Amino acid sequence: MLRLITARLQQLVFVLFLLSAFTFLLMKLAPGDPVLTLLKIDQIAATQAEEAALRSQLGFDRPIHEQYASWIWGVLHLDLGDSYLAKRPVLEMLLERVPGTFQLALGGIAVMMAIAVPLGLLAAKYPGRLPDHLSRLLALIGSSVPSFWMGLLLIYAFSYKLNWLPTMGTGSFRHMILPSLTLGLAIAAVYARLLRAGLLDSLSQEYIRAARARGIAEWRVLTLHALRAALLPVVTVFGMSVGHLLAGTVVVEILFSWPGLGSLAVEAIFARDYPVIQGYVLLIGVFVVAVNLLVDLSYGWLDPRIRYEKGEAA
Amino acid sequence: MRPIVEVEALCVQALAKRGKDRIPLIQDVSFQIHPGEMLALVGESGSGKSVTAGAVLGLLPNALHIGSGSLRFQGEDVLAWTEKKRRGLLGSQIGCVFQDYQGSFTPFRKIGKQLTEMIRTHHSLSKATAKDLALEWLDQVALPAERVYDSYPFQLSGGQRQRTALAAAMMLRPALVVADEPTTALDVLTGERVLDLLAELQMQVGCAVLLISHDLRHVMKRADTVAVMKDGRIVECEATEMIRRRASHPYTQTLLHARPLLTDLDAGLDWENEEVVSSERHEGVDGVESLADREPAV
Repeated sequence: MLRLITARLQQLVFVLFLLSAFTFLLMKLAPGDPVLTLLKIDQIAATQAEEAALRSQLGFDRPIHEQYASWIWGVLHLDLGDSYLAKRPVLEMLLERVPGTFQLALGGIAVMMAIAVPLGLLAAKYPGRLPDHLSRLLALIGSSVPSFWMGLLLIYAFSYKLNWLPTMGTGSFRHMILPSLTLGLAIAAVYARLLRAGLLDSLSQEYIRAARARGIAEWRVLTLHALRAALLPVVTVFGMSVGHLLAGTVVVEILFSWPGLGSLAVEAIFARDYPVIQGYVLLIGVFVVAVNLLVDLSYGWLDPRIRYEKGEAA
Repeated sequence: MRPIVEVEALCVQALAKRGKDRIPLIQDVSFQIHPGEMLALVGESGSGKSVTAGAVLGLLPNALHIGSGSLRFQGEDVLAWTEKKRRGLLGSQIGCVFQDYQGSFTPFRKIGKQLTEMIRTHHSLSKATAKDLALEWLDQVALPAERVYDSYPFQLSGGQRQRTALAAAMMLRPALVVADEPTTALDVLTGERVLDLLAELQMQVGCAVLLISHDLRHVMKRADTVAVMKDGRIVECEATEMIRRRASHPYTQTLLHARPLLTDLDAGLDWENEEVVSSERHEGVDGVESLADREPAV
């Protein structure tokens, strides 16, 4: 266990280094100039001298590797630099937004599980019959409808027509419903199919026949005996696509004016606010690696065989 | 004395994927098992013995169904029952041990949990009482009860798992225990001991036993009655003594000759010799199987 965590931490350092170097380079290559953007905000014609002064103040006159090195040095001291625009420490700005994105992601995952688990169970219980076809249809819709459009449809139906729920903003549980639905619906269908495949596989195992032969009730056979093994591939895919999920929150945050990391990142990209973008990428990298560590740990919980083999090897 | 199980003229068919063709798997199978009796159903692989067991249990795969015949359990026509009602018999009235010890318990859950789950499915007992009963039975099958109770299935050996499966099958004192090749996956010695245990527990519980096996030698030592199956039909069903003395059907004779000499059976063998002998016998049986495969199906 400890060994696994240490290995993951080493991996984290490596991933973050590569990730940050890559985004740093990409942003320098991307069109747009933060200096001009900043000067334009002041609405006054800037002189060449003013421009040069700002450029050297931000360190842009130095070679790129020096800029990167000084940024990394800051990161090692938990200093992600200051936002060009807001003139505030980036770390502070990011941490403010973390709860918002967490709420949204958890809401989306909750919706996903509430849909995927029953749908997957039903589809596996009645393969080739109505629940199975229904879940296949939903999977197709869920993975082909873009989430911004899904979000707009939900707003149209529940906020505009029915007037049940707020269209945007944050603050109450009611505000969370539509964004969570938008995020969860898009991913639920895929997991339902994945769960169905896993369940069909585990339902054909000998131990399921043995459990039935002992008279264990069918719902217990499904949820307690078969589901465990079927969750392994689901959890694996979840770990791999958590980056995708966080990217998905960007669209939803913009659509619902949700104050999360994604909307902050988009604002920063428009303003060429490099330190904020860098910080955002770094933080998402930490999340992805952390979630994958949790996924690895969950294998041991899901399948004790893995836990004991690890224990013997260590 | 009323038989526990009465199977009469039972036919099981497989539904072909296309069209309305029905392939018969077992035909006109009849036998009875009385309380305390052990009936061994013997035959080569594919002869329909496991299908027969599946039909008795009511656990046939979806593609198979019972075409005709009757199946009475304790005098009740269980074929007329709903699936749910029949499932209710399993575990409490009918115990079960399967061939593959790897699959006898769900690998993710501890043995104790699975045993108490089974007890509490059929009887409304408190957790503590259920645990006591499970421990008592693990002790009965000569296992270190506390340790096995707290183990995952993969932490036990094959023999230990089959013993635990026997405990689970007998625990609720069923009227019938179906043992579908319970020793095939085990080595000879362990298999012998598991069969001894089966016979011992049967005496204690007083249940009827349907023992499925491809191994005439194994079963003739213990079964009261032997039914020989071939190509989906029972070709001979006699008291073990009768089979031993004068098997009438040529196929039974082939099976008898596929075993080592009859004198080996009666003589008190030491285990070492037995293992040598049994490996020869396996070659013999394999030979029979390949011969039989070449024959056209009836």
